Amino acid sequence: MSEDTFMGVPREKIDWSPRIDYSKCNYCMECVKFCPHQVFEVREHEEKKLIVKNPQNCIVFCRACSKTCGPDALSFPDKGEVTRKIKELREEMK
Amino acid sequence: MSKRYALLPCNGLDKTAGCISREIALKVEERSESEIICPVFFRVAEAKYRQSTQDRPLVVIDGCQTRCASKLAAEKNLKIAEKITVTEEAKKRGQQIGASLRLGSNELALAEAIAQQLLAEESKKEKEVKRAGEEVVAFPEKYEYEIYTKDKFIFRVPKGEQFFFNENDCWAYVIGHRARVGVTDFVQQSLSDIMFFTPPTIGAEVEQFGELGNIESGKAVFEIVSPVSGKVVAVNDELVSSPERINDNPYEKGWIAELELTNFENDRELLLDFKSYFNILKRKVDSFHV
Repeated sequence: MSEDTFMGVPREKIDWSPRIDYSKCNYCMECVKFCPHQVFEVREHEEKKLIVKNPQNCIVFCRACSKTCGPDALSFPDKGEVTRKIKELREEMK
Repeated sequence: MSKRYALLPCNGLDKTAGCISREIALKVEERSESEIICPVFFRVAEAKYRQSTQDRPLVVIDGCQTRCASKLAAEKNLKIAEKITVTEEAKKRGQQIGASLRLGSNELALAEAIAQQLLAEESKKEKEVKRAGEEVVAFPEKYEYEIYTKDKFIFRVPKGEQFFFNENDCWAYVIGHRARVGVTDFVQQSLSDIMFFTPPTIGAEVEQFGELGNIESGKAVFEIVSPVSGKVVAVNDELVSSPERINDNPYEKGWIAELELTNFENDRELLLDFKSYFNILKRKVDSFHV
């Protein structure tokens, strides 16, 4: 289960989830096996056999799936920028 | 003094990085009194390497983040003294690894550089903590906890106004401009047996939510997400040789690092106190199979 908010900010407003570099991904699916939050979805019969289906399930600032990725095909947004954005959003909510 | 390592490369034959791991092992073996462990043979005939893995510090050389050699070491209950991941080393050095399984001059040069690093490296036990000139802050040796239990798992969360947490299950205990940082019981229970600790670099500037080293078990690699911003002034060196201390107690003996705080007033906005984190922890534990 994932949280609906992060530090009081609605999760859907925070841009934090893995990006797949399809030129590197070898569809080993280690990330899918690893992530307990159903962020990824396997699509056996499509050209892109793996997609980020539920980006909002991704735990903000967690990059653990990328550390299981042999071909280094997963990347994440810049943490500093995301932190600044979260602070801005909190400010707007006051 | 010549090194006497037990070298465990992943030897991944279908990936360039795996082939480089083999090349590194060969280079180190040729120039020291080290012994190579074949991961394939190790699986079927463990006894062959028993002596070597007991007597020598084990160096694990993984080609990529799939960590086949690390996982094998975990499966065999081996203590890892040093760990190299070829793709990470390439990134650090700004080098590209080619696609061919036959190693070219770039790949051989990378293997040579990593081998030299291993041959030159003092064992981590020999390294001294660089604390010179740092003020010493006395952190408490014992904390008080609130406990939450699920099945056989016990989750302790330390109490006190000086404790701050982030939602990534890391804590900071703040005294003045100094903070001691670590992970919570949720992390160590989720990872189970922690077998390797990659410390942050002393002197490094870390942003809030930045990476403060990694801890690793057979299950996963966990990036320590710093609750506070600051400069790393000390690391818990005991964890390098005994990372299991984090499993024993991630708050007292298993702390990770100490930071000189640079912007704590600002960081506080995105930190949780004991009560808020305890509620989040309970929710996580209830909805999660550890």
